[in-house]
This record gives sequence, structure tokens and C-alpha cells, in this order.
Amino acid sequence: MIGSEEKKSRIKTIVRACRLIARMSKGRPEVLESHRIYYQMLADYYDRLLNAQEEGEFVAAHTIFFPVEILYAMDIVPMHTELTAWMTALFSGSYADLLSTSAEVGLAPEICSPYRVLTGALAAGCLPRPNVMLWSNLICDNSAKGGEPVMDMSGCSGFFLDCPFQQTDYENRYLKEELEDMIYFLEKQSGRKMNWDKLSDNIAQSDRQIELYRKINELRQTVPSPFPPQDFLKLFTVDCFFAGQPEATNYLETFHQELLETIRDGRGMASPERFRVMSIGMPPVLLLGAIEKVSLEYGAVSVADPFFCNWGEGRLDPQKPLDSVMKKISMHPVMVMYGPLDERLLDMLINCAKQHKIDGTINYAHVGCKQGAATIKIVKDVLNEIDVPMLILDCDIIDTTIAPEEEIREKLRQFFELLEDR
Amino acid sequence: MTDSPQTNNVELHALDRFREINNAFPKTAQILEHKSQGKQVFGWLCTYVPEEVIHAAGILPVRVTGYSQEMELEDGNAYLYINNCSFSRSCLQMGIRGEYDFLNGVVGGSTCDGARRLFDVWRYYIKTPFHHVLTVPRKYTQRAHDLYYHQVAQFKQHLEEFLGIQITDEQLCQSTEVYNEARALLKSLYDLRKLRNPPITGAETMEVLNASFRMPKELFNSYLRQLLDELAASSRSHKYRARLMVVGSVMNNPEFIKAIEAQEGLVVTDELCTSTRYWSDPVVLDSDKTPLEAISQRYLNNFPCARMVPSDERFNRVIDLARDFKVEGVISQIIRYCVPYAHDLPLLIDRLKAQGIPTLALDVEYGTSGSGQIQTRVQAFLEMLEARR
Repeated sequence: MIGSEEKKSRIKTIVRACRLIARMSKGRPEVLESHRIYYQMLADYYDRLLNAQEEGEFVAAHTIFFPVEILYAMDIVPMHTELTAWMTALFSGSYADLLSTSAEVGLAPEICSPYRVLTGALAAGCLPRPNVMLWSNLICDNSAKGGEPVMDMSGCSGFFLDCPFQQTDYENRYLKEELEDMIYFLEKQSGRKMNWDKLSDNIAQSDRQIELYRKINELRQTVPSPFPPQDFLKLFTVDCFFAGQPEATNYLETFHQELLETIRDGRGMASPERFRVMSIGMPPVLLLGAIEKVSLEYGAVSVADPFFCNWGEGRLDPQKPLDSVMKKISMHPVMVMYGPLDERLLDMLINCAKQHKIDGTINYAHVGCKQGAATIKIVKDVLNEIDVPMLILDCDIIDTTIAPEEEIREKLRQFFELLEDR
Repeated sequence: MTDSPQTNNVELHALDRFREINNAFPKTAQILEHKSQGKQVFGWLCTYVPEEVIHAAGILPVRVTGYSQEMELEDGNAYLYINNCSFSRSCLQMGIRGEYDFLNGVVGGSTCDGARRLFDVWRYYIKTPFHHVLTVPRKYTQRAHDLYYHQVAQFKQHLEEFLGIQITDEQLCQSTEVYNEARALLKSLYDLRKLRNPPITGAETMEVLNASFRMPKELFNSYLRQLLDELAASSRSHKYRARLMVVGSVMNNPEFIKAIEAQEGLVVTDELCTSTRYWSDPVVLDSDKTPLEAISQRYLNNFPCARMVPSDERFNRVIDLARDFKVEGVISQIIRYCVPYAHDLPLLIDRLKAQGIPTLALDVEYGTSGSGQIQTRVQAFLEMLEARR
């Protein structure tokens, strides 16, 4: 086990890198202001985490798609386990080491790589020790199994939020009671009371944020697309880290304005824009730049990321904060992958393809994602019916040895040439 | 095919009957006869599906399993993709190729990603007339029990609407008694494996278990009673170097166990959803609850799958089994891409180690018969166990 100073240094690397990016972005007209805000937010998030223990704050580690509005309302410091492990790996260039450490611990290579990196980071002592662990089955077996290793290695207690598979009234009541129990657990563990007024404020912010996500997504229907293709990841992580926080609203409002200005100026991401692409699944994050570059060579732009950007219908009600937390979970774009596979998913993809005027789809078949991969044929068959071809790109979100950069470039080239031939 | 380590090889006639059924599966004489009487057959995909409810409706429930050997899974790969577990892909391929075309219904649970996507893709591409999926909570709290009961009640109602019948409490009680008898008989069989010289091998036991979910339970019970009588009358025993337990992913290939036992590692118990986790824990019928409540309580409280939280519930029961059966070593076999068991493995190894029980971890594919490499590793494991004495 490495010492607390060493642990701190990994988180410090994230803080320093994000601050540097934010500082270098300032005053540069070619860089969007939203870009600077995003990295400043990240730097602040990790700075707070870095100093949490010394300042007597209570840290709750949590898995993906967790309602952080609740933690902020209780003045608890959140630590997103998968994304923090992921950021640690990316910013310190240590993903291969962490994957290797997880293998030494005994985790099979077929397990989703963010969870292997998480285990590796825990085993290597790269993550701060949380006071409690919160985890849920949103949205797969990996997240459902992701909490106990953290508790085991950190020696902390935890709460498992059991999210029912379907969304009947009965199951929604079950989830609401689970949330109430989780709040009780947090109150008991942290000695802090839930501030319901603050939760209502957070819900009001989240409601505004969802409205902005929708507006931003709608602007991606514009030809040419004004949306920087890699920024879907910012939208996704902003919700993961900062849901319900005013700084997230500020980021989204700024970004929305920037997109409007880009459209007003008649600018697009590709010039000329020849192919409009829908991206399904998470691309390999280390290769986002390479993917964008090869796409732009062919005038191809990713204009839709339905599993990250297509929020479901409905509004949140600050007067009913806990109901709204549940509602938000059900509205999250990725929730079409949860529950029995039905028309929700297929209709959403068809509508998305039509509304965004899609020429082709790239399905990033992350080797660790079983439930996503299992829908590949169904999705391909459905999109074929509306004459939208689909490239299936085998890859790994983190581990670039699964599908190296050149292999991905080559497959993309072949796909864009196929689109040209059509 | 490898030989079992029998030192006193008395034929078991009842066992041959079970083997015949397994060899003919899925289109066994019993299933075809049931169909010829105009009755329905439903497939179930996971041990969290309450079989008694299907049985009480006059339907023959059979477990959907995959090929009994490692196969090329072209259709399974095409429809479920290569990174889903080979159990799901194997089952689906059999479905796609019409080998389960006699099924009138398929029932699944939201138990793991592989199982639920198997259900989804089955429903989408294979037009079995009736489909139902149950939400299965991952906890054991009263609230989770209430939710699961509600799910079982909904399933019963769906079944009643589909068939145009009422499933009465009396029918549920009768079905429960039949299934409880099977559980009690299987427990008797397992109790024999606790003996210093078990009269039945792990591979033979797996033949019995496979047949248990492929034929009418009433008939199974009568065959199993005969087998127990035969075993009681025999002086069978098996030479072994160590007493082993097999844990991990779904597995129902007796050849895999045979490969272990050919090295004289006698498999005396297991923690598999095709064996102990299938039959352990009876439904407790009493005046405090309705039969449906008793059934739902049993299914959620049963020996847990790795999907359940907290995992220590499973680990503790594995350790209890090891103690009861005087297990000297554990063989973990995990199918590639089986996420819940793969996640649990490092923690389970630690817990077993703390009890002084070593674990051999094998990565396998569903249907594997125990290749040369597996045999070599088992051999080395047995040598290590012997050296510890």
C-alpha cells in the first residue's frame, strides 16, 4: 500500500492537469469558454476531494448513474468511483499499470475495464479512502458488483441501492423507499441531516440542466453540425459529477449559447459536412482525437450520441424532490438499455436517426459491455430497415490493446468509403 | 470420455434412465408425450423463476440449457455477440435453430446481464407464444420480498390470462409438495456424498440433476427413489485423493466433473445453479402465509447467486457446504464473460483461504468437457492438496 501522500499525488495530477487546461484555454478565441469552465469544474471537484479528509468532510464513493443531488444536499463530498479511477489512469498515464494490478488481484480480463481500473487503483492505493460506499445495479452487473471490493479494500461501510428492473408504479415505490433508506444510512453514518430545501434547489437546477441537455441535443440536428463531437463526453460527465449544481447549469448555458453562435455564423465541425454519423456506445476514450481526425478527413461528423444525450420526456418537480430523483433516473438517456428490451430503445434510435439526418451509425462494441453488445444485431436490423448502415467497431473504452489505434482508423476509413460508394 | 474413479463399479439402473433422458434432451420422450396429450411445455431460464407456479398451471416446466458439449456458436455469436457468456449464446443458438420449438412459453428473470439479454433476444427473434420476465430484487429485505412476491403474483396472473384458467391455492400446494419431495430426495442423495466413501460420484450426480429439470417432477421423484434404494443396497465406493467442491458459473456437463474425477479428485458437493442452488431450501408451507407467498419467499431466500447483495451471504453458505462435506479443495469454474461470478472470485478465494481451503480457479466455456490443460491443472491442485496433509 502506498502512503497518503502518494495517493494525494495521483489526485493532485488530475487537479494540476485540469487547472492547466483551464488556464491555457483562457483568452484563446479558438477555444470555447465552456471548455475552460468544464476543466475548472473538474479541478475544483478533485481539489475538494483531495482536501476532504483534512478539512473534516465526509466522503461518499458512488458508482455510475448515481443521484449525486442527494449527496450535495447533505454537504457530502462525492467521489465517482469509475470516473475517478478512469481520470487517475488517464491523467497519470497509468491505465496499463492499473489494469495489470487488477489482474494481480484476480479480476478476469473480460470484466468491464473501468471496473478493472477501479480495482487496480484501489489495490495500488491510488484512490482516497471514502467514509462510505454507495452503489447500485444501474446499469449493469459490473456496477452491481462494483461496491463490495471498494468496501473490502477501504474498510468502509456501504449501502446498495437496489434499482428495480422495470418501472411499474410498484417498482417505483420500491426505489423511492430504497432512496429513503439510503438517506437514513447517510444521516447515520455522516451525522449530517438531509437538507430537503437544498435538495429541492438541486432538483430545480437538474430540471433546468435537462432542459439544456435537450436544447443542446436539438441543435445537433442542424446541418452542418455545430457540436464538437468529443463534447458528448463532457455532457455525460457533467451530469455524473455535478448534477443539480449551479456550476453545471452555468456550463450548459454557456455551451448552449456557443452552439447558437456557431449556427448563427453558419459554421460547422466539418467543412464540407458530407456524412452525419450516429454513435452508439462509448468510444475508446484515449482515441477520441484519432477518431475525430480520421472522420473529418472524410467530412464525417458524429451528430448524435443517443445513449448519452437523448434525455427522456418529463419534468422534475422541486416540490417533490425524491420523486424527482427517481424520475430523473428513469429519464436518463442510458436507461433505454435497462429494463426489458422493447420499442423504447428501437423507436428512440429510429427517431434519432431520422431527426439528426443520419447517414451511418458506428456502434462501439466495448468488449466489457454485455448488454450493449447483445443488442447489436437487433439495432442493426432495425436501422437497416430505414437504410442506415452500421459499423460495428470492437474496442475497449480504456484498454487500447484490445483494438489499437491503427485498426480503428482503418475500419473507420473502410466505413466512410462505403458511405461514399452509396 | 474419461472413466470415473470407481473401485466398486455396480451398475445403477435408475441412473441409466436419467442418462437416457439427458441424451435425448431437448426432445425427450417425456416432453413429446406431454405435448401429444395437448399439454403445454414452458422453458425457464434461471433458478429465480418459480417453477411451482408453472407446474400448478398444468404446464411442464423444463430448464432451457445449452449444448451438452463445447460447440461452435455461430448463431449465438451473431445474435448475442461474442462477449456474452457462452451459456446464453449456446441456449440462444439452440432456440434459433428450432431445437426448442416445442416450447409454448419462455420465462426469465432480471438476474444477470447475460440472462436478461438472452430473454430479450429470444423474445425478439424466436416467436415462442408466451413470454414473461420477472424483476428479481438483489436484496433480502422485507421490501425486496414484497416486491418479488408482487412479481410472482403478476406472473401467475399473466399465466392465468394466457391459459384462460385460475391457478388455485390447492394446486400451488400440490405442486409445492411435488417439488419439495424432489428437493428432499436430492438432499438425501447429497447426504450420501457426505460419507467417508460416497457411493455416487459428482459426475453421476450431475446426470441426476440434469434430468431433474428435463422431465415431469413426479416421474423424476419415482426414479430418484429407485436410485436411492439401489445405492442403499449397493456397496459402491470410490477411490479418491481429495474431496472437492465445484463452485461458480452455470455448468451442467457431467464430462467436466468426470475429467476432475478421473484424476481421483472426488467432487462431493457443489455450489452451482444447476445443482445445490437449484434444489436446496424447501418451500415452507404454513398457515401464516399463502402458498404463493411461501413460494416467492423460498425463491428469493434460496442459496444465493453471485448477483445478490451482500456477497457474504453466498460466501458463508459456500463455507458451510465445504465444512459439511469435509471439502479439502474448491474448484472455481467461471465461464468467460460471466460478470457476477468473476467479480466475486477474488473475495471468495480470500474467504476460503481464511478457512484453510485452497481454490483452483479455472476459466472455461460453457459445455467444456475438461480439456488436457484443465486436467493438468487439476492434477497439480490435487498434488498440492496431498502435500498439505
